[in-house]
Amino acid sequence: MKRSWLIGGLVCISGAGAAVLILMYILPLDFKERSPVQPIIFSHKLHADAYSIPCLFCHRSAPKSRLASIPSVADCRACHLYISPDALEIRKLMGYWDKQEPIPWVRVNSLPDHVYFPHMMHIRANIDCSACHGQVSAMERISRTVSLKMGWCLGCHRQHKASIDCWTCHK
Amino acid sequence: MKRRTFLQLSGMTAASALLAGCQSQNEKLIPYLIPPDEGVTPGRANYYASSCNLCPAGCGILVRVSEGRAKKVEGNLDHPVNRGRLCARGQAILQELYHPDRLQQPLRRSGPRGSGEFTKISWTEGLNLLVGKLKELQRERATDRLSMLTPQLSGSLAALVSGFMSSFGSPHHLTCDLLSPDWLRKANRQSFGQTGLPFYDVAETRYLLSFGADFVENHLSPVQYGNAFGRMRQERDTVRGHFTYVGGRMSLTGASADRWMPARPGSEGALALGMARLILTETLYDKGALAANGLRPDELLGRINAYDLPRVAELTGLAKETIAEVAREFATTRPSLAMAGETVAFHTNGPEAVRAIQLLNLLAGNLNHPGGVYPSVSPSGPENSFTELLALVNNMREGRIKLALIKGDPVHTVPQATGFQEALDKVPFIVSFSTLIDDTALQADLILPDHAALESWGDVIPQAGSRHKVYGLMQPVVTPLHDTRQFADVLLAMASELGGAVAAANPRKSALELVKETIRKQVAPEKGNDLEALWVDLLRRGGHFNSDGTPGNEYRWISTSPLPNPARPEFAGDVKQFPLHLQLFPSIAFSDGRGAPFPWLQQLPDPMSTVVWDSWIEINPATAASLGISHGDLVEVISPRGSLRLPAVIYPGIRPDLVAIPMGQGHKWGGRYAKGRGVNPLELLELVKGSEKQPAWNATRVRVTRISKHGDLVTAGHPQGSYRSDLIGI
Repeated sequence: MKRSWLIGGLVCISGAGAAVLILMYILPLDFKERSPVQPIIFSHKLHADAYSIPCLFCHRSAPKSRLASIPSVADCRACHLYISPDALEIRKLMGYWDKQEPIPWVRVNSLPDHVYFPHMMHIRANIDCSACHGQVSAMERISRTVSLKMGWCLGCHRQHKASIDCWTCHK
Repeated sequence: MKRRTFLQLSGMTAASALLAGCQSQNEKLIPYLIPPDEGVTPGRANYYASSCNLCPAGCGILVRVSEGRAKKVEGNLDHPVNRGRLCARGQAILQELYHPDRLQQPLRRSGPRGSGEFTKISWTEGLNLLVGKLKELQRERATDRLSMLTPQLSGSLAALVSGFMSSFGSPHHLTCDLLSPDWLRKANRQSFGQTGLPFYDVAETRYLLSFGADFVENHLSPVQYGNAFGRMRQERDTVRGHFTYVGGRMSLTGASADRWMPARPGSEGALALGMARLILTETLYDKGALAANGLRPDELLGRINAYDLPRVAELTGLAKETIAEVAREFATTRPSLAMAGETVAFHTNGPEAVRAIQLLNLLAGNLNHPGGVYPSVSPSGPENSFTELLALVNNMREGRIKLALIKGDPVHTVPQATGFQEALDKVPFIVSFSTLIDDTALQADLILPDHAALESWGDVIPQAGSRHKVYGLMQPVVTPLHDTRQFADVLLAMASELGGAVAAANPRKSALELVKETIRKQVAPEKGNDLEALWVDLLRRGGHFNSDGTPGNEYRWISTSPLPNPARPEFAGDVKQFPLHLQLFPSIAFSDGRGAPFPWLQQLPDPMSTVVWDSWIEINPATAASLGISHGDLVEVISPRGSLRLPAVIYPGIRPDLVAIPMGQGHKWGGRYAKGRGVNPLELLELVKGSEKQPAWNATRVRVTRISKHGDLVTAGHPQGSYRSDLIGI
């Protein structure tokens, strides 16, 4: 009697353990925030939609480098010396400049180290920025709209007949 | 505690642990404060062609620079010496740039010598101090009390240093490099009347016979010869070149050979003459070559008749049949090639043995032939630096040197038997130009730190790596990280401060101007006169590589020069008291010790013994068994000069009467990775009585005793698992 209870209990516990493991494997356990709070309330909607500034005006190394790059503090300041210099967030920006510190932006779109993703090749292939980054011009606070998992990359690569060889991205 | 509180507490702990795991994992994205200069695109690398100056081989390098930081060094494909290859030491020069213990500004000694107490000073103070000392010497009309010690230099820096010393009025410029091929230049002068180093056409030869020349690891131009060896074996469809290695210790080069001849230490010259005699008696020699060099076979045979086969077999400890077979193979396979190396040269009969090997090349008709040996267009260098070193030591000891300017680390790389270390202590003011506090800088009164190689302008004339003229350019690939100054710039600044004749003789203002001047004089006449276009082209390519046309110079035996006669080698230490020969070999990672500060090289396992981060002594299994030593034991090595403790490696690839220790470790200081690691075997060396003027570093005898089983040997492979001891035997 007692032994059967013990065995039943063990089976239950190990079954539960296995279920947890399986769930952890299946569920997209992603602890990264999709839309984290940024140190400065920067509105892409205002810049890209209301003022129609093209993406590459600020993310200027995207057509020629692996990285799209974000503008330096000096670049932000150059415009905002003249454009609404008294706004609260702009004063925060100037505060960083006065301290000679870079702004610690929180990264939203990131890939693991074992993935080689070159921005310039995708720009040259005329892939719209929104294909991966979503409608940035509609976002007040930047947020990730796609999963950035390998299956998602491959879907797009197949659709555009781009290479799906392992070595294309994992090198 | 109530059961309920316990449950509440444990629940809270679990929840907080879970929450901590769920915290935002987003990384930070840090922008530039100020956008970088034009030409720097984040995420995109630039490649700069430059030259490696870690050893005199002078290989061409390409440096990958990303966001203004040097990231990776590889070989330059267009460079004729290394053809895109690079050795581990060359790859590690990045760590000279980023070394955490690099000196960031000039230092002045504040404690007693050797204590390592220094105070930071500015460049103005440092230069004023040094110029003051130089002016004092000029005032006292004692300009010959200045001495300058450098490693082997080439190109415009060599010209600058000798120009500075002669215009200042001091004859004491000394090149002190333990492994400098003085012996080869000297032998070449005696045999052929020219001092240029040879270029061995290894790639085209069909029979290679190396007398202790470890060309895969260190000999002359290791990347060039290692690559050429690969081509000799595999490049031709029908021929796989044969390789025989002569030497008491099986080095990595020896392990690559088809046949290993473990000749008794110091008997290699006799072996070469024995082979020569056999070739002459069996008329296997090249008649045309002998006639062209003005030698008559019968006369030659008469002079080396003493080296008959039984005697040579007895001297070398090799079988008669083997010697005869190798001699016949060597003479009948055309083209064949014999090389002489450091293992042979650093015996008391070294120079004569090297000449005997040259005679062997002559007999087989290998001089000035494809697959043979040519004179290379390498810069002239010292021939007697060891004698000069002894003279300088004497001058220092007697107080005739007031100021020593030292580039490099002679305190570590000069054997103590020369008395250099004590004599240097008598010099009142020592200036070091090291990039970190090495053993020499530790003794210095003033340290004026040099730039790292990747921050410097310069030029390099490669040693012995090409038949053609090669001019390698060094350019800075990053802006200097610290407040350091290039050695050449400091010399030029001193010259202009001193004024008068010294300033007039050294009118250039910077190393860059000096290099441009050299190019205008040496390269421009060949390439046309558009200097600016030429300069840009050289920067892009990493130098000027002239491969068209055949260089005219050839080797011709001087008929008046006496035939080589390697006497029986002399050894320091009594046979009964010290039964074993000691051979020191440059480590493949550190060379003579210059690579030891770099952690990549420290963690590089030795290719034969797989030892990491340490020194070791190689002992034959039979010898070890008779002494009761097993693998990894701590042993004491005692020579007439001193004793050292280090772990033992039982190595079947070494003669039973020989033990070997790698050089390069045992730094007293030298940065956090080199400091106090391993032992410096140069401390064991003793000068041989009667041949004190000879750099006979392989002529010391030792005895070995077991201390304990705690040798703390770190090996990357299974101990003794990496070699099949049943394959090699003596």
